[in-house]
Amino acid sequence: MIQVRCVRKSYADLRRGNFVALDGVSFDAGPGEIYGLLGPNGAGKTTMLRILSTVLRPTSGQASVSGFDVVTQPTQVRRHIGFVSANTAVYDRMTAWEMVEYFGRLHGLCGDPLRERMEDLFTRLQMNEIRDLVGAKMSTGMKQKVSIARALVHDPPVLIFDEATAGLDVLVARALLKIVSELRDHGKCIIFSTHIMREAERLCNRIAVIHRGHLLAEGTLGQLTERFGDSDLEEIFFQLISEYDSNPPVSCEVSR
Amino acid sequence: MIWNNVRLVFLREVRDQLRDRRTMFTIVVLPLLLYPLLGMLFVQISQFMREHPSAILVIGSDALPDKPALTSGSAFADEFIAHRDAGRVHAELRTLSAWGSSDLEIRTRAEQAVQSGEFDAVVLFPADFARRFKEFRGHLPASSADQRQEAASKDLPQPEIFVNTASDKSRIAAERIERILGLWRDAIVSDNLRQRDVPLAATQPFKLVNTDVAKERTRRAAAWSKILPFVVLIWALTGAFYPAIDLCAGEKERGTLETLLCSPAHRSEIVWGKLSTVMVFSMATSLFNLICMALTSMFILERIVHAGPSSAPVAIGSPPLAAMGWLVLALVPIAALFSALALSIAAFARSSKEGQYYLMPLLLVTLPLMLLPLLPSADLNLGMSLIPVTGVMLLLRALIEEQFSEALRYAIPVIGVTAGCCLLAIRWAIDQFSDESVLFRENERWGVGLWMRQIVRDRRDTPTIAEALLCGMLILLIRFFASFTMSVPDGWPGFFRSTAVGLIVFVAAPALLMAVILTRRPAKTLLLQRPRWGSVVAAISLAVALHPAGVALAEAIRWLYPIGPDMERQLHAVEVLMGQAPNVWILLAVLAFTPAVCEELAFRGFILSGLRHSGHRWGAIVASSVFFGATHGILQQSLSAFALGLLLGYLAVQTGSLFPGIAFHAVYNSLALALAWNSDPSRQGSGFSWLFSGSSAGAGYRWPVVIAGLAASAALLLWFRGQPFESTEEESLLQAVERGERLADAHEL
Repeated sequence: MIQVRCVRKSYADLRRGNFVALDGVSFDAGPGEIYGLLGPNGAGKTTMLRILSTVLRPTSGQASVSGFDVVTQPTQVRRHIGFVSANTAVYDRMTAWEMVEYFGRLHGLCGDPLRERMEDLFTRLQMNEIRDLVGAKMSTGMKQKVSIARALVHDPPVLIFDEATAGLDVLVARALLKIVSELRDHGKCIIFSTHIMREAERLCNRIAVIHRGHLLAEGTLGQLTERFGDSDLEEIFFQLISEYDSNPPVSCEVSR
Repeated sequence: MIWNNVRLVFLREVRDQLRDRRTMFTIVVLPLLLYPLLGMLFVQISQFMREHPSAILVIGSDALPDKPALTSGSAFADEFIAHRDAGRVHAELRTLSAWGSSDLEIRTRAEQAVQSGEFDAVVLFPADFARRFKEFRGHLPASSADQRQEAASKDLPQPEIFVNTASDKSRIAAERIERILGLWRDAIVSDNLRQRDVPLAATQPFKLVNTDVAKERTRRAAAWSKILPFVVLIWALTGAFYPAIDLCAGEKERGTLETLLCSPAHRSEIVWGKLSTVMVFSMATSLFNLICMALTSMFILERIVHAGPSSAPVAIGSPPLAAMGWLVLALVPIAALFSALALSIAAFARSSKEGQYYLMPLLLVTLPLMLLPLLPSADLNLGMSLIPVTGVMLLLRALIEEQFSEALRYAIPVIGVTAGCCLLAIRWAIDQFSDESVLFRENERWGVGLWMRQIVRDRRDTPTIAEALLCGMLILLIRFFASFTMSVPDGWPGFFRSTAVGLIVFVAAPALLMAVILTRRPAKTLLLQRPRWGSVVAAISLAVALHPAGVALAEAIRWLYPIGPDMERQLHAVEVLMGQAPNVWILLAVLAFTPAVCEELAFRGFILSGLRHSGHRWGAIVASSVFFGATHGILQQSLSAFALGLLLGYLAVQTGSLFPGIAFHAVYNSLALALAWNSDPSRQGSGFSWLFSGSSAGAGYRWPVVIAGLAASAALLLWFRGQPFESTEEESLLQAVERGERLADAHEL
């Protein structure tokens, strides 16, 4: 479903020269799986997910979604993903229904299939009450629901959630996590980036710890516990980060 | 491109804008209120200015002659007050002794009276006015003609008007008193003539009668042709700018742009959708303003003309319908151009606030282009028609004034330039939307030192687009300013210096210096690679084959847009200087070889190499040709040079080397010199005259030669097309994306 091979992304920076945001990141994620990207702020999670959503181009390396290359076949990649991020907002002057319908049409849906799909989504996500509410009047939770409906309207095989619970209260966050795990159960391939350990522990089948553009470790919670001799993900996380910071690698090789 | 996506984006954006109260206010409410209010205000102010009675002080009422009497009672005599000033002159009469004791005091107090605003104007009759007036009249019957002339010139009694020209009220009062005194003077003249039994016609042997050949409609058209385009263009720009800011920078700020970028809609589809929206609002704003202005002029101003005084400000009536039609037609390309420009600028801005900052520079650039056609001497000619916006406005004016043949002649350059600018601006907007450094630009602390260090530290193998554009503009500017400082050569040595040195210092040197300083691989930048010999031979053959067609094109351009007499003189002077060359080889070295090397280094070397980073091969070739054309001082030559630039750019891209281009350029220029040489009657009979038509100066090739040459050129260009060439990284990426998307679509089907 998702294949990332040695992806590197660097920016020209006035002060630092060439700033490397991602340095040789590789991973795979398959259907029916939630792949967690766990990392502190500025680790490169958003850059990685923006590359997968084709909004950014990798400086080198390859990434593909459903067999389509993110650089040379971006339109097809975007057809096969649903992207929810703190940076993908909803339109202020559009109602929930209009917004989801608009993106459904951009994905080539129309007529009855689109309406049925939307009815289903609005019911499943309990959004019928906000159907005619414009974005400007919505609460953060409502907006996030609309974003999810917008990402799901074309029933994509791959879903990308970038810090999707940021700014949500406990109740809404919990409901969102439930929706994500249901989507996994429906066979979707999900990439879920977060910096909250609890979410990663509860939700993800496999977790990758990312820091300063490097993928430091990857595996199921069990594998990580076994490898680092600690059952607490937070402890493992700190151990990895402090090890990296005290002894940064010379090469851009990924430790597995 | 999927047009359904463009339509979807367009419909959404239009709906979004219609739901925005600010947009609706600017487009609908503002013009509805603005023009009637402005009209009212304008008329009120001018009525106030005109109808406000002027307080005029007459000092020296006792010094006035009795006959004809200027005053009657305490006011001016009614017979000297013009119809339009009736009831608008309040006079106060003072004797000189009542006003002051000395001449100095009288004058000082008069000045103060006007300065303080106590009176709008003061007219002062000197103490001896009546006496001198009487003496002057007494001379008239007795003296000889010479004596009378002498008396008239040195001793005329002179009243003096005190006016404050900084005050409108005072100026109007002075005008009124001048009219009154004028009528009084006329009465004196006719009195004098009557005394000597001279008929009144002696002072006015004939009367001037103006016959206006312009029809009422044309007169109105001429007046409106100056106002309407300006109003339409200003509103087209304003109407484009604010929606563009909201649709790009606003969406970036609100975070909805990334949502849209993650949808399957292609960048170009998003841009076209947004562009259509901006264009619709630009046109709507402009049209609505136009309609409101027309309605105001029809219903309000015309009534005021009838009801108001004869000097009412607007006597041009409502704009003619045909003018409105032409305006609407011209609005389409102008709105497209402004919309694309506004969209690109808005895409560049991080936030709405930053976007607003860019309105002023955009206005500063376009405003002079809009004001230029309002100058009285601005006429539609080739130079003007090549200036974006100005050309459209002048063409529009010609159409409104019904000068259709003139308009038709310059329609091609105007439409060409406007369409070119539109496409360029749209391309720029699409590129901005595809450029992640623009989409995700973040605030950075900027410093000159840091920036300079970055330029050197992050040098690339070949120049960036910005560096290439800078080089092009630098060459144009240097040449422009150098033309002021360099004197006109008066002999061959001076001509040699100005031409050869000018090319080396002002064209080649900037490109070479920039290549060395700003790039890692100057040789690659300047395409100094060894060419395949075949391509050099082919380029030389192409120059020979294409020259007849090039001459025909240049002639066609000169026939369509004749060179002015001044320019003809200059060209002739150059020909004379060329004739002074010691020998033909030096002439070829200066006028064929030096330009070939210098211009190729700059335009196909540095500039084209940089512009190719845009990823659009032909776009880069066209842009480099625009610079190449612009460096040729005479417009008619610039057009031919632009066409030649396209070909030279193509050769540079296809061969990857500068040398075939240099060979082509040198041979092409040499042939031009040979043709000029052959057209000189003293040198005919060289054995090549069978190639040329006619024997007069400036002769071209015979038509069969032109056609055969074109056929050969086509074959040679096909050969160049078949040559393998090196693409830039950006070009390869765009090709890979195109290929990949095609494959993916096929796979999907």
